[in-house]
Amino acid sequence: MREDSCGKIQCPSCLARANLAVPDAPLDAHAQQQRPITRQSFLRGLGALAFLPLLRSVPAFAKDEPEAKPDMAVQEIAPGVFVHQGQYAMQSPENMGDMANCAFVVGDEAVAVIDTSCSAICGEALRKSIADVTSKPIRYVINTHMHPDHVFGNVAFKQDAPTFVGHHNLKNALQVRTDAYLTANERMIGPAFQGSEVILPDLGVEKKTELDLGGRALILEPQATAHTNNDLIVTDTGTDTLFLGDLLFSVHIPTLDGSITGWLALLDDFEKRKAARVVPGHGPHAMQLPGALKPEQLYLQTVADDVRKLIKDNLPLGEATKIAGYRQEHAWKLFDDYNARNVSAAYAELEWE
Amino acid sequence: MLHAKTSSPSVSLAGLKRGASALLCGAFALAAIAALPAPAKADIDDWPGLKRTVFDNRDVIEEDGVVILDTPQVVQDAALVPITVRVPPEVKEPIKSLTIVIDKNPMPVLAKLTFGPAAGTGGERRFTTRARIDTFSHIRAVVETEDGKLHMTTKFIAAAGGCAAMNAKDPTTLTDGLGKMIVKTFEPALPSTPIWEGMVMLKHPNFSGLQINPNTGDFIAARFIYNADVKRDGELVFNMRAGSAISTNPNFRFTFGRGEENVLTVKMTDTDETVFEAHSEPSGT
Ligand SMILES: [Zn+2]
Repeated sequence: MREDSCGKIQCPSCLARANLAVPDAPLDAHAQQQRPITRQSFLRGLGALAFLPLLRSVPAFAKDEPEAKPDMAVQEIAPGVFVHQGQYAMQSPENMGDMANCAFVVGDEAVAVIDTSCSAICGEALRKSIADVTSKPIRYVINTHMHPDHVFGNVAFKQDAPTFVGHHNLKNALQVRTDAYLTANERMIGPAFQGSEVILPDLGVEKKTELDLGGRALILEPQATAHTNNDLIVTDTGTDTLFLGDLLFSVHIPTLDGSITGWLALLDDFEKRKAARVVPGHGPHAMQLPGALKPEQLYLQTVADDVRKLIKDNLPLGEATKIAGYRQEHAWKLFDDYNARNVSAAYAELEWE
Repeated sequence: MLHAKTSSPSVSLAGLKRGASALLCGAFALAAIAALPAPAKADIDDWPGLKRTVFDNRDVIEEDGVVILDTPQVVQDAALVPITVRVPPEVKEPIKSLTIVIDKNPMPVLAKLTFGPAAGTGGERRFTTRARIDTFSHIRAVVETEDGKLHMTTKFIAAAGGCAAMNAKDPTTLTDGLGKMIVKTFEPALPSTPIWEGMVMLKHPNFSGLQINPNTGDFIAARFIYNADVKRDGELVFNMRAGSAISTNPNFRFTFGRGEENVLTVKMTDTDETVFEAHSEPSGT
């Protein structure tokens, strides 16, 4: 089996020295074309680089400044609670990243923003919508989770020096994805993405936490892994409005980047909750419990049931993505953009049940 | 059966290139990149160098139908890309080896399988696994037939970020249940069919060495399955040498020649020299 001596062909250290070559096929063929580097020096080099993306932002060049501005119109769904409804779309140059719902709550003393859309330009437009309503200071910017369409507008609020708030897993989740998120969204949104950057939370919420806005408080509750591993829900005590972030999708197909079993379990809990209204991460401005949850529960349950059956029938992952969930195709916008991805994630999770 | 880990030798990632792209992580939004044009670096042709180093510059017959490669049209998750290689039933002779190469990956050879007497003939032969794709790249399946000739088919995959991606959605559960292993055979509708299918799945993070630990910001040390031996009733189906680009929780499906008991025994070894072994139940007897 394993041998301590490096004289043995199976010793990984020897494989390493041979640039991970197998006897007749070098796994790393490039090693012979380049000066080999040690793993340590490689990691040291990358370690330094690893911090770069966090500091990186897309420079704003005046000459490319887009003429059009996103329309971040808001609707007052309850006294002092304003919601902007995002478009049902992937990010694009046309929508400039306006694709997720964002909201703000105005207290006697201060304002809290809940999600900031997918670009600096959308964040700025949202900030202007807030200024049209109130001159009170922005004390908190809360992100319901890590996804780009909920966080990239944060940068527009830096000038207000608010406390940026998220789930205790949010900081790490964003750190490891910063470069990828910037690259992908730069490509998809184009020049309108200029100036966008990742702003990490100052406050990581580990347990039920209250934030005061003067005369009304927001209650923040971090959730177990469901849509992502950093979902945070927010209740405005002033109006009993519950902001579910992307734990609730309506019209826009749900997207799975966490745990399908975790999400379904959470929805069972949400069914028992009472709130005057809920605000989805994607969907109309406001909805009612428990009915608002039903279509999403049906979709996720359908994916889970289909995937479990296909695994039982020994269908491989690649084939399953072409079949599972399709009974729900008619019920959702952007189905073709996300269903196969959801199935792939569900399969990798459920095959180990 | 999980043998205790007895040492943790370091694994060199010599020859790694494109450090910056290695920093790309498992972003949800990355799926969308697949639809966009490939970046310029994908235009650099790595094949001449790979042909020299991996195949000793031997003649390679391209696209002659001996080998077929199935990859998804749209990559949903660059850290979990299903790849199937098929040798159609018209090809009657035994296959000596199969090598899968992803040109632009930090370790271009995904896996090399050397087939044994139990690999079987008399029907379509298949091998399926899931790979991490670091950036837009050509992917090649090269089959060596009994006569020593190499046959290649090539596809292009538009995906990025797979090697650095943490494909567990919840990184804190990555090493839960490490070593759990399942080996199965799928008895064909007609048990006399000479080619059967089997599967092995192993709970193992298969760390590529390019993933960042979100809790510390450091790179997670490489730890991946580099060797596997698959036997049917004690006879070799194939030996596999694998690189770091096999996805988390390695999963292999493959065909084998029908035997008496059809018990598959699989032994896998990771770069920490931990050995994982399991076998299937007898079938078709
Ligand atoms: Zn989301």
